[in-house]
Amino acid sequence: MELGLKGLKAAVSGGSRGIGRSIASLLAEEGCHVSICARGQENIDTAIAEFESKGVRAMGRALQGREGDAVRGWVRDTVEEFAGLDILIANLSAGGGTNEERYWYRNFEIDLMSATRAVEEAYPALKESENASILIIATMAASETFVAPMAYNAIKAALVTWSKQLAEFYLPKGIRVNCLSPGPTMFPGSNWEMIQVARSRTYSAAIRKQPTRRMAEAEEIARSAVFLASPAASWCVGTHLLVDGGFTKGVQF
Amino acid sequence: MAVSRIKPGDFTKTPIDKTDDPDFGTMMIPKERYTSPSFMAREWERLWSKVWLWGCASEDIEETGDYIVTSIGREEIILTRQADGRARGFYNVCQHRGNRIMMGQGNATSFRCNYHHWEYRISGEFENIPDLETFPQGAPPCGGLTEVRVEEWNGFVFFNLDPEAEPLLAFLDPLDEHLGPYHFDRMVKVTDWTAEWDCNWKTSVDAFNESYHVQGIHPELLYFIEDKHIQIDTYERHNRYLIPFSTISHRVNETTEIPHLIKNAMKDAGMDPADFDGRVSEVREALQKFKRNHGPEMGLDYSDLNDEQLTDDYHYMIFPNITMNIHADDLMLFRQRPHETDPDKMYFDVQMFKLLKKDEERPRKPRNERFKHGERSMGLVIDQDAANLPGVQRGMHSEAFDGLWLGDQELRIRHFHKVLMDYIGDD
Repeated sequence: MELGLKGLKAAVSGGSRGIGRSIASLLAEEGCHVSICARGQENIDTAIAEFESKGVRAMGRALQGREGDAVRGWVRDTVEEFAGLDILIANLSAGGGTNEERYWYRNFEIDLMSATRAVEEAYPALKESENASILIIATMAASETFVAPMAYNAIKAALVTWSKQLAEFYLPKGIRVNCLSPGPTMFPGSNWEMIQVARSRTYSAAIRKQPTRRMAEAEEIARSAVFLASPAASWCVGTHLLVDGGFTKGVQF
Repeated sequence: MAVSRIKPGDFTKTPIDKTDDPDFGTMMIPKERYTSPSFMAREWERLWSKVWLWGCASEDIEETGDYIVTSIGREEIILTRQADGRARGFYNVCQHRGNRIMMGQGNATSFRCNYHHWEYRISGEFENIPDLETFPQGAPPCGGLTEVRVEEWNGFVFFNLDPEAEPLLAFLDPLDEHLGPYHFDRMVKVTDWTAEWDCNWKTSVDAFNESYHVQGIHPELLYFIEDKHIQIDTYERHNRYLIPFSTISHRVNETTEIPHLIKNAMKDAGMDPADFDGRVSEVREALQKFKRNHGPEMGLDYSDLNDEQLTDDYHYMIFPNITMNIHADDLMLFRQRPHETDPDKMYFDVQMFKLLKKDEERPRKPRNERFKHGERSMGLVIDQDAANLPGVQRGMHSEAFDGLWLGDQELRIRHFHKVLMDYIGDD
């Protein structure tokens, strides 16, 4: 099956590590030019070198996810550098945290606002694209009670709702919007790698509920994400895809 | 990822210079030192009865007449506060028939033996011997309780059974200069436990004299400390390592989420982890700066401590049996005491002290709680050590084990044994 990604231009927020990195890397493999943003320049440099080795153009910006101007600037720079944009993947996240007040602001600013700001900034360029698509990365923890009450789960739920409405609104403009919710994912440097060691009981409780007794690998999430974002998924609109290895038990109608 | 350290020229009162590593060779440490009753007997004769020993916290005997009974081997010692403010110590034994006089701790106007009510002043002299006229030989000529040497330092009371011993400060050298800046006397005791463990006292001392075991039995700490690239220093008798806290070990990958133990350290200092946008590896230095800037308003005086002392563990061993995890805001002090008769048993005393914040209510003074290993939890990390040690002790009795095969990360254990054997003589 041809995904139709060759020569397209993609921006992946938080694409220097983990799921985002894996998505950007697969996009590059499919011939997409990719732009990423993240906190650490060091990781960005390594990622860019890897993407470029696949024969595509790549760029990146170091920024703090809660700085709106920086996120918008990254999208504008990407559009300018690539002379257009076809795919935006809003993947940036502040991660778990706790239920304390400042974490609500943290997840609001980094998970939610970085997505809305990037989408708004990308819209003019996406409107011009023949293959425009937006993919919002949420979490399984938005649809399934998971670990504990916390800002991360609830703010990600807001993204799911928003993405559906966005899909309906943007479809007439030729932009497909979809949402993907990964289940627990393990990769070098993942928070689960830390939790497995530092809070082993939390890890055991999570892994016991996973039917295959393992967590996802980043690429297992990325393959679904790349498909949904690609022209091959032309009839997928406003869908919310759970990629959780069978963790959730609810029936999705 | 290299952990930053303070450099010569940076502010510090506690010396930070790395000592030259002594060459103690690579010889095996004979296991008999841990298992043999005859070695244990020599330890009593040449070590315990000769060295300065940590007795209690000065606050345990704060007021005139306060007393506490501590023990070493078969001896029990009453440590008590005199009217003139001095701390003094006496063997806890009645000169009449040898009964123990006092138990535990409390306040007394005199020490009275329960058996025949022989009574001693808190300064040790006989106060009253009932029916003294029925002793044709009179009262014992010693005049009262037998005194032991006692000296106080930095909020702690030490005693020495050897009347000829050098002064405490000379014995502690150079720790007064090293640990004075922490002002332990400003901290208050919050925990006082004594656990009976099924291992030799040195098995326990060794367990805290290296951080090599962190990757073995304390994996959680890999997300809180750098366990391998640490500074080890050895002095005439005592030793230390300086171990970075509120960072992650080079053995694990850096995560985006701040590990919970680091978050807790930030929260304790009033720094909200949700507002920290740096990397996990940048927390330690940011926390040092935060504590430096915000300590005074919280009533915490860090002015004598260098920057890394605000986050790190300056881990000292006072020979022969005191392990100190020293932090700007608290001290975890472990005292390892030999069993009275059995080399396979010991007493593990946990004394935790804490610096109180401004307006923080002083917690109730803890009373010593005694228990055997496993009867109650002492927190995850100590429990992990405690669960491991009986197995080490049993294994040392095996025919298939000759002695300890130590690496460079265990230099403090070699140093401890060098000093130990200087006291004991040859194996």
